[in-house]
Amino acid sequence: MTDEAQKTPLVLEIKGNSLDDGPGIRSVVFFKGCPLSCVWCHNPESRKAGPEIAFDGKLCVDCGECRKICPEKALSKTHPLYVDRTRCTLCFLCTNVCPSGALEPVGKSMTVDAIMNKILPDKPFYDTSGGGVTLSGGEATLFMDFASDLLKALKHEGIHTLLETCGSFDLTRFMAQVYPHVDAMYYDLKIMDSRKHQQFCGLPNSRILENFKALLKTAARDGKVLLPRTPLIPGITDTEDNIRALAEFLSALSVTRAALLAYNPLWHEKSDKVGVDDPYKKDKAMTSFSDGGVLERCQSIYQDYGISVVNAG
Amino acid sequence: MGKQISNTLTSLFLRFFAANFNHRKALNRYLRSADGWIDFTFGVKTENGSVAQALIFKGGKVRVTGRMPAKPDAMLVFKDEQALKEAAVEPPNKLMIALMENRMLTLGNLGHLQVINFYLSLLLKPIQIAKLKKETRAENRHYDVDKASKTCIDSRKLPQLRTETQEDPGVLFLDDPYLPDMGLDDFPRLKTFLTLHFKTKPALCHERPDILTRWFRENGFETDRDGSPHVPELRQARAFKYLMEHKKPRIRENDLIAGTTTPQEIGVVLYPDAHGTMIWGELLTAPHRPLNPYEISADTVEALHTRIFPFWLNRNFREWVRSTKGNPTCQQLDERFAACFLWKTVALSHTILHYPKILALGTSGIRADIEKERTNTPDSSDEKNHLLEAMEICLSGIEAYAKNLATEAERLAAQEPDPLRKAELQHLAAICRRVPENPCATLDEAVNALWIIWIGVHMENTNAGFSLGRLDQWLQPYFKADMERCETPEARKAYIRHAVELIGCFFMRCTDHLPLIPDIGNHLFGGSSSDQAITLGGVTPKGEDAVNDMTYIFLKVTEMLGIRDPNVNARYSREKNSRTYLRRLCEVNVNTLSTPSIHHDEAVMESLAEFDYPAEHLRDWSATGCVEPTLSGRHIGHTNCMMFNMVAALEMALNNGRHPLMRWNLGPQTGSVANGDFTDFESFFNAFAEQLRFLAGLTCQYNNYLGEAHQALRPTPYISALMEGPLHKGKDVTQGGAVYNSSGTACIGLADITDSMMAIRKLVFEEKKVTFAELWTAVNGNFEHHPGLLALIKTKVPLFGSGDAEALAMANRVAKLAHDIFAEQTNYRGGRYTAGFWSMSNHVAFGTLTGALPSGRLAGKAFTPGLTPEPHASKNILSNLRDVAGLDPKNMNNNIAFNVKVVPAPGESHERTVDTLTSYAKAYCDMGGMQMQLNVVSSETLKDAMIHPENHQNLMVRISGYNAYFVSLNRNMQTELVERAEFGR
Repeated sequence: MTDEAQKTPLVLEIKGNSLDDGPGIRSVVFFKGCPLSCVWCHNPESRKAGPEIAFDGKLCVDCGECRKICPEKALSKTHPLYVDRTRCTLCFLCTNVCPSGALEPVGKSMTVDAIMNKILPDKPFYDTSGGGVTLSGGEATLFMDFASDLLKALKHEGIHTLLETCGSFDLTRFMAQVYPHVDAMYYDLKIMDSRKHQQFCGLPNSRILENFKALLKTAARDGKVLLPRTPLIPGITDTEDNIRALAEFLSALSVTRAALLAYNPLWHEKSDKVGVDDPYKKDKAMTSFSDGGVLERCQSIYQDYGISVVNAG
Repeated sequence: MGKQISNTLTSLFLRFFAANFNHRKALNRYLRSADGWIDFTFGVKTENGSVAQALIFKGGKVRVTGRMPAKPDAMLVFKDEQALKEAAVEPPNKLMIALMENRMLTLGNLGHLQVINFYLSLLLKPIQIAKLKKETRAENRHYDVDKASKTCIDSRKLPQLRTETQEDPGVLFLDDPYLPDMGLDDFPRLKTFLTLHFKTKPALCHERPDILTRWFRENGFETDRDGSPHVPELRQARAFKYLMEHKKPRIRENDLIAGTTTPQEIGVVLYPDAHGTMIWGELLTAPHRPLNPYEISADTVEALHTRIFPFWLNRNFREWVRSTKGNPTCQQLDERFAACFLWKTVALSHTILHYPKILALGTSGIRADIEKERTNTPDSSDEKNHLLEAMEICLSGIEAYAKNLATEAERLAAQEPDPLRKAELQHLAAICRRVPENPCATLDEAVNALWIIWIGVHMENTNAGFSLGRLDQWLQPYFKADMERCETPEARKAYIRHAVELIGCFFMRCTDHLPLIPDIGNHLFGGSSSDQAITLGGVTPKGEDAVNDMTYIFLKVTEMLGIRDPNVNARYSREKNSRTYLRRLCEVNVNTLSTPSIHHDEAVMESLAEFDYPAEHLRDWSATGCVEPTLSGRHIGHTNCMMFNMVAALEMALNNGRHPLMRWNLGPQTGSVANGDFTDFESFFNAFAEQLRFLAGLTCQYNNYLGEAHQALRPTPYISALMEGPLHKGKDVTQGGAVYNSSGTACIGLADITDSMMAIRKLVFEEKKVTFAELWTAVNGNFEHHPGLLALIKTKVPLFGSGDAEALAMANRVAKLAHDIFAEQTNYRGGRYTAGFWSMSNHVAFGTLTGALPSGRLAGKAFTPGLTPEPHASKNILSNLRDVAGLDPKNMNNNIAFNVKVVPAPGESHERTVDTLTSYAKAYCDMGGMQMQLNVVSSETLKDAMIHPENHQNLMVRISGYNAYFVSLNRNMQTELVERAEFGR
């Protein structure tokens, strides 16, 4: 991670009309880059903070312009992912000539003003629905200064703000720069066993848990929503042990509301587009939608601990 | 040599035809009508002259000649020999489609072409019917209707919200205005009617034309029995009175409302002075066609062919213009289908009667007004005196019909064993004795009077787009009076239930007739009913919140029945109406999948600001036909006088005035793309503007000629008596007698043109990624050899609906151009032309008649419905909503149709879905949006309905302005609906 990247993050997408990322109708700003590296990451293109190239074969009209222009000969119909990333130098000549959008740069450098210009036209929809803007990713707190400026600008316009976070951040900076400007935080708690957390998410979970405890103390006082969320990943987070441990952790802190997110396997396709390693490509459980049974089972464990499971949307 | 063979084969085929009709008695008799032999000449040729043959019908004999008569009564000109060969063995409906697709064209009287079609059908019936049956099977159109109608009603789920807060000051009696505790199961009567609606095959009905033709034969049409020219208004009035006196008074079993439009359960009404003869050729095959088949009895075929149609061969609007104006270019253009469709060939309709006055005064009160006018203006012109007399005659006609209904009710009551029903019939008899002659005192009387008056409208004038208006406003006083007479809470509760049932019966009554749709109509206006629009909510003439008890009662009925007609439109005033009301509108949309359409009241009124209408009249507007605004009771706006294909002008601008499909150098030469005549974007836009102005000039000219035809053939003194204006002006409404006059157009293709203009400006003139000539070549070749360019257009050109400011500005520019061009024109009643941006289903038909476009839309594909953005313009609905809201209402004074297909996420709660839609609708109106119509259905469901229509008989969809049952649509329209942008998650 360079300092420069921290100042001006790449924005993957500003998704409008989201009904799943907080109350009402929302726009979601996806930041590129995350301190964790969860093996099931739903947005594999958001893991690295730097620029990437994505290829979507479904859009390609095979005009051949990109192959002609590529100085590194990194593009080939015989390569399983089309882009040979060992050769690609990210010069972006190919994405410039591609007429169909099959080859696209991933992530766009945007200023706070540019983001606000995209977002503000939709304000009437936030107003009529009790919605607003959600920062997601990747991890917005990786870019603390920038996130702070953006949140301030949003609050200046009277827009409801929500942060989706993995919890792995510097608490002091967070409290000073981000916390004052968010109305709600959806906070991911994934795996209680720290070793496993390290194994599947790349870092131990101690900081995440400590941050959560600290925020819990202030959020209620300050009238901010803090909702713990857990994605149910087959065999990784949705195990009896893990769910029970989470429930114990939460109930010990007197948390009574939490969210559980059903597994969604659509990320595999995205991995191919950006050429990210995908060890679960052939794993049956990891490539299917979960049936309702998993959610129900986990829900009932939570209920045993007096925690009601809410819709995170 | 091939040409020689074609000519010989044609001659042989015609000789075979002639021999059959000359020698087979069973066929020969059809050469005769009640007035004698049907004599005429009919030619067949190819464009290059390789084939030229004629049939001469004279004195009961048919002769074939290779020498074309100088002026055959009718002629078919085929594009080439192939087109001719195809036509020879196809069913008559296919022939009309070939006509539409410009594989052939006709000259002369279209009626004669229909006679020929009918004769061919007599000869080739077995082959034709076998073909239609095969097609029906291939498209899965045949299934057990009895079972399907039951399945579809029983499988409806209608989750119900409750009101959160009561915030409508006009709601006086309903505890929870959403009426959440009522459902169809509480109304067995309505359930029976609904089942009948879904399972009954409509029947072609000859009652109306038969009675009228009898009168005209007896009393003359052009001249009376003494040979003096008829005064058209008086002639029509006397014929109307005769019709109403002789029409069968029928009360449907178990109905709370007396009277039916036709003696059939569902009758297709015939107007041979309009387009009625268009079904002549299909009389034997229409019962077997795959789409919307009709029952046609042998009696009806006999009556129509021998007694009725021959009388009207030259007495209809088209032929009046053809003979009076010499088959003008504007008429030829209309009959080539690709650029326009003029509705006055069918009707001069699309208006709203002055119901509050009719209900309050009764016809006796209106008569008193006529008498007073006569006394006050003793020196009136003959024209005025004739009209006043004609109006009185019409009123006595409708009164006679009501009396006949009363007698019928008494007859039925006398023989009715069930005491409850007996009492109802006695009650109906008493009602029909009193109204519509006298002022209405109760809701029962008002609704029955409304319906009887409505029957009269469709006996006088074609059932196409006549609309009912603000029934919640006009019935509330009667409901209120009745409620105030109820003394106990139980009585009030029971009466509310009765009001719901009564309005339910009224809705079902409105489904008792259908407009005549020759098969070509299934391609032009598929699945359309007569589009009887009801308007709810908004503000009162004084500007107050108009939402009342009846508003919610109408919404309840709309939701419970889920039927396509009446077409329910809701006005939503941002300033006055509550969120409770808007939320209910959205809930009814979720439950019916597609109705009511929602109009932002302030924006619609802003769109009409240029006319300086008095505020009280403006605030009393109603939606008409599809969506168009009419000032209730005093405005003939014939708001759907034409469907106008703006894209034809674009094609002509791209081809120096030539229309490619019509193979016609029609327009002015505005420059050649291939020769590089366009050096900047503006020069091309100007060429488009010139072609658009040229086409608009032609279509308005034809509309005006057709208006004259209506004045001569079918003035409407009955309607004149029921509107404000004619009484004082002394002019029939067809002559401009209404207080306000205008003509409304539907301009089709706004999004397709905007996107094409954006592609040309961006890629050719700004970024210079391609030359105009290259783009033109790619367009002409349907992009087949230019996939890269097509991809570039689809991904790099900002489209209307994407949230791009330039694209929005372009859309506003095109809309303003259309508005200004039509505003330059004056109609035959002295009114202005207005511009609307909705399309019924013609965006599909016109699309099939249009080549590829610079926007990347491929040849033959549907345009977008109304002014809805292209599906790939944006990934999310908000940009769509914002852009459409950003269109300036001032350019859209005949309203718009903006389709939004929304799919709730699986498992999403009903409440969440409704609340989200409410937020969309509210924000859209807050941003200035004018109209929106929802389709709450997924493409998956639609696809399933294409394969299993038997499970989706009541699947209602919003086309562009009107509602239709999805299973009744042709494949192109179904596909267009499937491919619409789908916004969900």
